[in-house]
Amino acid sequence: MASEDPCFIGNKTTVRGQVSGKQDVVVEGRIEGHVSLQSQLTIEESGSVEADVEAAVATLKGEVRGPVVATRSAVLHATARVAGKVKAPSITIEDGARFSGEIDMDVELPAGLAPGNA
Amino acid sequence: MANTVVGSSIVIDGEISGEEPLTILGTVKGKIAVTQNVTVEPGATVEADVEGQTVTVSGKVTGNVTAREKLELRADSKMVGNAKAPRIVVADGATFKGNVDMDV
Repeated sequence: MASEDPCFIGNKTTVRGQVSGKQDVVVEGRIEGHVSLQSQLTIEESGSVEADVEAAVATLKGEVRGPVVATRSAVLHATARVAGKVKAPSITIEDGARFSGEIDMDVELPAGLAPGNA
Repeated sequence: MANTVVGSSIVIDGEISGEEPLTILGTVKGKIAVTQNVTVEPGATVEADVEGQTVTVSGKVTGNVTAREKLELRADSKMVGNAKAPRIVVADGATFKGNVDMDV
């Protein structure tokens, strides 16, 4: 389902609670709580998100605190400031992005390299 | 683009606050408190107390609505709850159950 109408949180708006849906969401404002999307989430430079985030694609250009789980990919752009765990099969961190936390790309290591098997 | 839009497939359970116009095409449960206009489009569902400058309802609202300027219930809108605003317009075809307070 392509999103014809956009979902947009403006920079003077705060959403507290649970946000869920199937269409792309662009955040220039603030979200606190939980975000669960089957589509793309874009946090713009002015955006600030303090939430558990689940999305297909996470495009982060602003401030994000909390675990981010993307089922397809996550991109931390140069302006991004991210703290927390980021889990996705494909993760890009651009030069300039600031990140503190854990990256999990679900890598399947060969048996001999698996942790605890040394 | 200083405008917040809740898309048609989006469900927000919680609170929306802000200082810019808000348009709802999807579902919002909880509380809405903005200083600008609130528009509830056809097909949208709001189960929340709503506070705004001008509140225009074309969809469905369950909750108390306070508009600082005007509340407008368009044709085919459905509202259950109390309405408080200095000016209230109810169009032919709108469904409304609740108290009206124009601060007379």
